[in-house]
Amino acid sequence: MSAVGRRDGVVAWLFLAPYLVLFGGFVLLPIVLGLWISLHNWDFTLPGKPFVGLDNYANLLDPGSVAFDPFWDSMKATGIFTLFSVPLLIVIPLAVAMVMNAKFPGRNLFRAVYFAPYVLGVAVVGVMWRFLLDRNIGAVNSYLGAIGLPDDIAWLSSIPAAWVALVGVTVWWTLGFNAVIYIAGLQDIPRELYEAARIDGAGRWAIIWNVTLPSLRPVTMFVTVVTLIASANMFGQSFIMTNGAPAQETRTAIFYIAETGLQNFQMGQAAAASWILTVALMALSLVVFAVFRARGALDVS
Amino acid sequence: MRHPTLTSSALSRRGFIAVTAGGLLVAGCGGGQGPGGGSEEGVGGFSGDAYAGPALTLAYWNGFTGGDGPAMQALVKSFVSDHDNIDVENNTVEWLDFYQRLPAAAQAGKGPDVGVMHLDQLATNAARGVIVPLDDLAESLSLSEGDFTESVWGPGIYEDQRYGIPLDVHTIAMYYNQEHFDKAGISEPPTDAASLDEACQALQAAGYQTPMWMPNQWPAHLMFLSLLWQFGGEPYAEDGSAATYDDDAGVQALTWMREQVEKGYSPDNVDIDAQYIAFKNGENSITWDGIWQILDLESAGLPYGIAPIPVIGDEQAAWANSHHFFMTSQAAEDEDRANASKTFIGWMSDQSSAWAEAGMIPARNSAREGSEFTDSPQASLGDQINALHFLPPVPGLGDVQPQTLEIGVNEGVLGRRSPEDALSAAASNATELMEQNLERFGA
Amino acid sequence: MKGALKVLRYAVLVALTLLFISPLLFMLVTSFKTSGEAVQTPPTWWPDPFTTQAYERILNAADTPVLRWFFNSLIAATANAALVVTTAALAAYALARLEFRGKRVIFALIVSTLFVPPVILVIPNYEIVGRLYWLDTLLAIIVPTAASAFGVFFLRQFFAQLPRELEESARLDGANRWQIFFRIVLPLSKPALATLALLSFLTNWNDFLWPVYVLFSPETQTLQAGLSTLQSANSVRYDLLMAGAVVASIPVLLLYLIAQRFVIEGVSRSGLKG
Repeated sequence: MSAVGRRDGVVAWLFLAPYLVLFGGFVLLPIVLGLWISLHNWDFTLPGKPFVGLDNYANLLDPGSVAFDPFWDSMKATGIFTLFSVPLLIVIPLAVAMVMNAKFPGRNLFRAVYFAPYVLGVAVVGVMWRFLLDRNIGAVNSYLGAIGLPDDIAWLSSIPAAWVALVGVTVWWTLGFNAVIYIAGLQDIPRELYEAARIDGAGRWAIIWNVTLPSLRPVTMFVTVVTLIASANMFGQSFIMTNGAPAQETRTAIFYIAETGLQNFQMGQAAAASWILTVALMALSLVVFAVFRARGALDVS
Repeated sequence: MRHPTLTSSALSRRGFIAVTAGGLLVAGCGGGQGPGGGSEEGVGGFSGDAYAGPALTLAYWNGFTGGDGPAMQALVKSFVSDHDNIDVENNTVEWLDFYQRLPAAAQAGKGPDVGVMHLDQLATNAARGVIVPLDDLAESLSLSEGDFTESVWGPGIYEDQRYGIPLDVHTIAMYYNQEHFDKAGISEPPTDAASLDEACQALQAAGYQTPMWMPNQWPAHLMFLSLLWQFGGEPYAEDGSAATYDDDAGVQALTWMREQVEKGYSPDNVDIDAQYIAFKNGENSITWDGIWQILDLESAGLPYGIAPIPVIGDEQAAWANSHHFFMTSQAAEDEDRANASKTFIGWMSDQSSAWAEAGMIPARNSAREGSEFTDSPQASLGDQINALHFLPPVPGLGDVQPQTLEIGVNEGVLGRRSPEDALSAAASNATELMEQNLERFGA
Repeated sequence: MKGALKVLRYAVLVALTLLFISPLLFMLVTSFKTSGEAVQTPPTWWPDPFTTQAYERILNAADTPVLRWFFNSLIAATANAALVVTTAALAAYALARLEFRGKRVIFALIVSTLFVPPVILVIPNYEIVGRLYWLDTLLAIIVPTAASAFGVFFLRQFFAQLPRELEESARLDGANRWQIFFRIVLPLSKPALATLALLSFLTNWNDFLWPVYVLFSPETQTLQAGLSTLQSANSVRYDLLMAGAVVASIPVLLLYLIAQRFVIEGVSRSGLKG
């Protein structure tokens, strides 16, 4: 590292400028502005935005206030969804990737098929599955009935069926994405490790446990964190498929924030809620990193 | 993988780097300058003469996405062909999105010039400065209270100024499948709780297991409100300070709704819109829905009948709402645009009898005497028209209701909570929100 | 034994393929039905009558310009990806190779926002975008999300690993920083740039919440926002909804067919070291 501090002074700032303009205006500024908004009764459409101090936060933390239940129910919804979707999205794609971890004809075709839903986007996927899962006229119930199972499950309007539906559709939608990443990770594992293990007499499961999974740790960590963040931010599936039903039980925290701030224009309240959610998510990220770090998945360069 | 919405995946691939978020943060404070106040130049002074200014195009927003859509489009076409120098761009957005977008768009300068909105949203938008008073237009059209039912004319007024010109009135009705009724031997549509119950039993005997499905989302709360009024209750205080539907009348209303499920007339959990689709498919026999569905049912070719909703409570009453024309403060800033807008509104409100073909009830008393209305299916609602109840003009009510009353009705019909609990929770939340709104919109 | 496993593998993969393809197929089939047949049970796999009424309605209606939505999404995602890669590459190079005061602070600042969930930005960015009069324009979709901390971090790691010799010798030949960057570093970085561009494109393409609230005119909406509007306006017309979804999917799938290798390989690289 050069000891000359300023050698590239002006040039460096020119390189940085375009990014910093965007970063300053749309990341730093909003962070501060969001905090500022959360201290007011801020309605985008009204001239008056009175300062209310920490009232918005107090409303969200005071069990007696009218904002408490909707917000914390929405946090619970986010929690439930994340809890059920993340493990499935870590494990199932890995299993699929392992099945596909060999050269065989048609493999690229299969890979392309599984990845396709992700490319379609959440709106197409959501609209399509809402149709298929309709309680009365949906194909899913119809076929369940045909094989003797109950044919009137309210996939989109009852608990816990709605969670099964939301998690299931999410897995369907993004399994391919995670699987593709795992496949790449698996291919990256040096053959020698497998050879060595086989020479040592390790059986198939032992190899998976002792060679494959540990080698995949960085990739698994990547997939876990990305999936975690995505699940905690789930909005589209709820919005399109259940619209929060029944009675807002599947309304996630983001959904609550969007509805409060951008639909009802109570932006101060929504900003405060988003700060609370942010703190929770950051804490969660730290925990995940700590877990992976402890397991030696990281090498800090 | 759903990457987080605004920045791409917030993730470090190589490890956790503990950082201190130092640095200069420019504290930009949006202090909040005044939004949509408009200069209100175009307010007042309309003489009713034909528009004689430069050619322009009006942006017209409405929410007629259903069977009533084509009828509105036809009216707009007719206006444009009648007026050389005014073109109209029709933007139809589903109502829920409409009410979210209107204030935001108005703020951004991208809103419409004219539009249609529901009666119960006028106050909110007036308070937000999105729409402007139209008293001069009303005068020039010689519109006065005598032309309209009082319950329609009154609520268009917010803080002593008229913000909406009424177009129509719409309410809910009872639709029934004529073939099913014939098969069950029912000769006349039921008119009260007892005859409705008999009809349902007759239908079950005729093989229709679940003759009347009870929705728990739209339009369940409209049914609830109607029954509430029938039982003598009122949903909200006139001054907008409290919700009052958790009284006996409300409990009776919601209990009756839940009972239809418990008696087996309805499946336990009806997905949104499922009761209407099932009616169209001939799977159920009776459904309550808005008269705006008439055109859709006609085109589906179903042998349907339409009748006033039965009197479940003590006296006839039904929820109703009304569409009103409005002009935005955006249009008011330019005199030509304002005049053109008013010409449009004036012309359209004259057409309210043609609008009867969209399944609506014309707002003007005189139009209800014309044959377009008397020959229409909705004319059979006859007496119900005199028993229509509207929500009071309270700003912000449109946002409060989905979060409170609709949830309460949903839980009550689903049986997740007892009617008393569901209503009292909803009402107390609503009251608190309404108090907050009074502060917010008050000054 | 090996043979049986192979068969098993194919069985699993084929079953999975059916699970992925059959819903899409059913969506396609339904789009050619009448509104009545679309909601019939049990579901039929061949429309009777086979009709294009849903498509006619969707493609002719002024308030559902699905193809326009597709192009808006394409334009926005491409512009956004271009902006992300450009700004991130420039910034990353400065952070990787240049020496200047405040370098560590800037880098720390940028990286610290990696852990800031985007939800924190939604409300204030809406206010900012509103004040800039960008509401209901594609600018609101392209610009605010273009400052990618991940992009800077990702590219910086990549640049830092490039062997310095090429740059050093260019320096000795008298090239200035810009020339080194454009003529030497960038060409060497194509895979990384491509991966970043791809991820940004996909993220922007899939973005749902933001466009739904920020875009409202039919002509300006992107695919995700427009489809959502279509659904709320036609909640009982499943024939129309499926037709809309199909029209939304076909161009995407075509693009995907062509670029599929590139896309998948790009995404694969994102999880790997180096």
